[in-house]
Parts: sequence; C-alpha cells; structure tokens
Amino acid sequence: MQNVGIRYPLYFAIPALLLYGMFYIVPSLGGIAYAFTDWSSYSDEVNFVGLKNFIKLFSPGEHYLGYFWNTFLFTLVTIILKTIFGLGLALLLNEGVKRFVNVYRVLIYIPAVLPFIVVGLIFRSILNPATGLLNTFLRAIGLNAVAMQWLVDPRIALYSVIFVDTWKGVGYIMVILLAGLQTIPRDYYEAAEMDGANAWWQFRYVTVPLLMPAIMIVTVLNVLYGIRVFDIVYAMTNGGPGYATEVLQTGIFKAFSQGQYGLGTALNSVLFVILIAAGYGVIRLLDPKPVGE
Amino acid sequence: MSRPLLMTLISATAVAVIALAATPSFAAPKVTLTYQVDANWLKEGERTLAKKFEEQTGIAIDFQIVPSDQYFNVLKTKLNSGEATDLFGGQSGVTDLKLNYNVAKNAVDLTDEPWAKLEDPLVASQSTVDGKLYGLTYWDTLGYVWVVNYNKAIFKQYGLTPPTTYAEFKTLSQKLLDNGIQPLYEPISDGWHHVLWFPELGPRFEQVTPGLAAELNANKAKFADNPTMLTDLTQLKEIYDLGFFGQNALSDTFADRTKAMSDGKIAMFMAQSAFPQDLHHDYPNINADDFGAFVMPLADNQMLNINPAGPTHFIYSGSQHIAEAKQYLDFLTQPENLQAYLDSEPQFFTLPFPGIKSKFTPELQAFMDAHKDARGVVYQTEVNYVNPQWMDIGKDLTAMLTGQQTPAEVLANVDKRRGELAEAAKDPAWTK
Repeated sequence: MQNVGIRYPLYFAIPALLLYGMFYIVPSLGGIAYAFTDWSSYSDEVNFVGLKNFIKLFSPGEHYLGYFWNTFLFTLVTIILKTIFGLGLALLLNEGVKRFVNVYRVLIYIPAVLPFIVVGLIFRSILNPATGLLNTFLRAIGLNAVAMQWLVDPRIALYSVIFVDTWKGVGYIMVILLAGLQTIPRDYYEAAEMDGANAWWQFRYVTVPLLMPAIMIVTVLNVLYGIRVFDIVYAMTNGGPGYATEVLQTGIFKAFSQGQYGLGTALNSVLFVILIAAGYGVIRLLDPKPVGE
Repeated sequence: MSRPLLMTLISATAVAVIALAATPSFAAPKVTLTYQVDANWLKEGERTLAKKFEEQTGIAIDFQIVPSDQYFNVLKTKLNSGEATDLFGGQSGVTDLKLNYNVAKNAVDLTDEPWAKLEDPLVASQSTVDGKLYGLTYWDTLGYVWVVNYNKAIFKQYGLTPPTTYAEFKTLSQKLLDNGIQPLYEPISDGWHHVLWFPELGPRFEQVTPGLAAELNANKAKFADNPTMLTDLTQLKEIYDLGFFGQNALSDTFADRTKAMSDGKIAMFMAQSAFPQDLHHDYPNINADDFGAFVMPLADNQMLNINPAGPTHFIYSGSQHIAEAKQYLDFLTQPENLQAYLDSEPQFFTLPFPGIKSKFTPELQAFMDAHKDARGVVYQTEVNYVNPQWMDIGKDLTAMLTGQQTPAEVLANVDKRRGELAEAAKDPAWTK
C-alpha cells in the first residue's frame, strides 16, 4: 500500500492541541494552582498559602483522612462484588439459562438506567430501621436480630451504600462481561473437554484468560467510578451519620458549596492524581505483556 | 392580479396580522419569579398569597423547594456560581448574612422599601449589615421559642412534673422508659434539629459565665474551655445513650413529628412553642392544651431562649426581575396579607409587624410571662460564626452520639471552624 510509512506534518495536530489545551489543560492546571491559595467566597483577595490546604487534608485532626479511607473501601469492595456477581450473572445468561434470556438481561440491566436520586430515595425508604420494607420483612420471619440500623449505624452505613451501589451497577458490568464471553469460540471449550478438562479447569484456563480484556475494562471502569463516587452516597446518606460515609467527592462538593474554593481545589487535585495513578496502575497490572519480550 | 383580488388579499392579511397580534404569543412575556426555599420554611399561607399575587399582578411565583439537610449546600453553590433564583430564603443573623450569603454582593438593598420602617427593629437588625436592610423576615421570631413540649396526660399518669434540673429530667425520663413510654422524639436525620440542644442554651451559658458571648466574639474565649458547654454536650450524649430518644432517632425526621407525637407513645418533643397548635391542626382530636412546655433542662437550664433571627426572604442581586420581586415582598407585608398569613399558620402566634392581631394562648402567655425576667438571646445569633456552621455542628453531634467523637472534640471543632470563618472574613479579632 502506498500510504504505509507516510508521516503527516505535526502542524496538522495544532488545531486539536489548541482546543484541548485551552479547554482542558489550562483550566486543569489553573485548578491545581488555586489549590495553593486561600481562595474563598468570603473574601475577594486570593493569597498564596503554600501547602496549607494539603496539610489540612492530611492532618489527623481533620476528617479528610476518613474520606480517603471510605473512598478506598468503597472502590475496593464494589470492584470485587460487581466483578464477581457480574461475571456470575454473565456466565448464567451465556450458558446456564436457556429460556427468557433477554428478559433476564433487561431485568438485571434496569437498575443501571435508574437515576441515582430515585434509587437513593427508594432504598432510604426500604432500609429505614423502623418502617422500612427490609426490617419489617426480617421481623415478620422472626429474624429480629438481623434487622439492623442499615443507613444510620456508622459501622454498617457504608456497607449498605456499597450493597445498593452493587445492585445498581452489576447489570452494566454483566453486559460488558457477557459481550466478552460471547467472543470466546466454542472450539476452545470442545478442545479442552476432549483433553479431559472439567468445568472449573475450562473456566480457569479458557474463560478467564480469554476474558481478561473485558475484565480489565470493567476493573478500570469500576476503579475510576469508585474513586469518583458521589451520587449514590449523596442520595442515600449525604455522608452521614456524622462523617461515617463521607467520600472524596462529597467532601469536594461540600468545600465548594461552603465557598472554600482553595480547599476544594486541593482536594480535587489530590483526587486527580489518585485517578491518574490508579487508572495507569490498573492498566499496567492487567495488560498482558507481549510474549517474547 | 385583478384589483378586487388584491384588495381582498390586503384585507385578509391585515385581519390576520391583527388577530395574531392579539394572541398571547405576541403579548409581553409573563414574568415568573423563581424562589428557592427550604421545605420547612415555606408555609401553605405563603403559597395562597402567591396565587393571590399572581391573580392581581400576573407575576407568578415558582417555588423551588429544597430539603433541609441539603438546603445551604445548594443555596451557597448557586450563589457562588452566580445562578441563584430571583428570590432566595435564608436564615437571618448578621454573621449569616455576611458569610453564608455575602449579602453585600448577592442581595438587593431593601432599606427604602415601604415595609422596611414597619418591621420590628430587633428582628430587622438581624437582616441589616452596615446600616442596610437586606431581607424580609416573614416568620414568627418573637413568639416562636424552642421548648420541650410534654404530653400532660402521660405526665399525670406517672405523677411527673416539669423538671427544673437535669437530674430531675433524667429521673423522669428513665421512669417513662421503664414504663414502656419513649421519653423524647428527636429527629436527628434532618441534621439540624438536634443542634438546637446546644446553641439554644446560650442564655444559660451566659448566666453561668456573664459576658461570655462578648468574649467569644472578641476571640478572648473558646467554646472548648467552657465547662457549661461541655456539661450540655455530655448530658446530650447521656440521654441518647440511655435510649431516651428511642431506637430510631438517627432515622426519625422532623416532617414526621406530629405523626410521632399523635398516638401518646412518646412523652416529649423539643419543638417550637406552637407545636401543640401544629399537632391540633394535623390531628384535630388532640387539643393544643393537652400539651405543656418547659425550657430545655440540660446543664440545669431555666432560662428562656429567644432568637430574633429567622427564615428571611432575600432578592438576588443578579435577578432580571428585581422590581417584580420587590413588588412581591411589598404585597406580602400588606396588613391584610400579614393577617391572612398569620391566621393560616398554626405554628405562629405573631409576626414582626405592627397592626396585626396576635394569637398567644393564655397558657403560652403565662409561660412567657413566667420567664420574662429569665430570658436571653440564643448563641447562634449572639455569637459570631456559629450559625454558618450549624449543619457541621449537626454532623459533629451525630458523630458524638454514635461514638465517633467526644463532647470535647465537638467543642474544639466549633472553635476551629469559627477561626477559619473569622480568618476568611478578615475579622480583626482573629487576624491581628
């Protein structure tokens, strides 16, 4: 082919670079610069304060370290739960279930398209310790000890939010994994079966390796979603009780809404760095290295 | 084209133009004022007045109601991003006006409005910054005091009388609990109500430590150093731990207050003095005089807590309809509209304007008279930088009740946030 090896001149990229720089790079760097100031809604003056905002974020006397921990915990647990349940459901719908497959797919996917505020309100009602559907049901069948204060006990509130988020997000993950499963040729399984592989070995040595690209995609999506989680926490607990379910994004939202722009941008900058590091790290970890290198 | 046909066409066109011009789409666009308001601040009486205002002027009011626990976040985000509604609701109080709303930038000066001179001076002073009046307080701030309302029948059944000390309060609450009655209803989930147990006791703090508010405002005293405040919070934690607020306080809501208090299973509720009228309104089988009141007894308080600040209407300085918004406030303060608003609202006894007939019951009048020499102004109004952190204090108190913080840490956090707010506001008492 004639076009092979042709290099286009660099100035072809200038319009795109200009737009990207103007609307993405400059505002992003500007935001990071403001993290080193005392910019707030209370005063028109903006003064350089060095690392003061960052020191506050990482000081043990503040609540922000708890926000980091909650975000990490939320991300980790939702990745595990969504991937395991998503993969399980995808396997069921790919091979196990033979009838009404499309109906099940739609049913499992529906929560993913519901607005967060609707899910939040519904589950706040269901998980109400006194009048909620869940505790009423548990008490009705004699399981009073299991009827807990789901969203208001600081020890379990975050896990309740994680459970609801998993319920809502698992359909989306399932769809991606299902698409991945459907690309694996049947021949591999037949060959493995002829070699005497049982179902677990087929899953372990055929399904998982060939599904790795899809698993990598869902892991990256889950990591980035988990670190940036906001809506479900805001709708269900608004960070409470106390500070028990506060995450980075609710902290950023509150800092900005209280007019503490400097602090908000500092928190946002830290989030930005974590996102880049986590996204890059996950891709490097899961991306298979080319053979022979 | 023949002449008759041309004439016919011209006539038809003229008729069509006149007809189209008369249709609404060609008339001046109708003005709709947007008004962001906390769900608990918008009373049915104002909705009715807004409809009447629309009928009279053609100016509609679009109420944008926000739940209490998110109100200030949403409001401040909108103000800070320059996207506030034409009118917005806020809590008056000079520090709030400066810090929460930055009224000098975000609100319209209403000093020369016809109703401004008529508003009660104590109430108006809470909406005034640098001699300029920025808000209309459309609320009963003078008869509206937060007290512990108690069910007289339950108290009589167990031989109880209103307590005058914390020890008495604890003993009677324990007796109620032992008899299967939940002593208190406390809606913590809203995030603001349980905070009242703290700054509303300002008169008691002031009684024990005279001049404390002035010292705090001059940055010569700290919340964390005050033993009465520590006692107040320690006792609040104790009554929570003893189960006096019931098992579901963390998910109970203020909206369910009358329902919760209607079936005689809960004995007391710390609420505004008009709560019994509120209850009677929702449950006509319950009479307002079935309930009595006593002052919050934490830290052995016997002082009545007065707060001249309250929910207030502001006009957003960036509004395209400032004249119409002023017209709406003027309409609200017409004597007949003030009276209609007061009469429609069971929680209110009076409004801060002259010439209206107040609704104090003989019992409440007697209660107010009994405390006429033992009253003071609450600390969220008396002490700077307390009210702007109301919801933060709420989070700290919830953390304290659930064992994530100690009472001393809550007080230290209040001091820390006061320092931050004062520094941000370039308060000379902090920056010098």
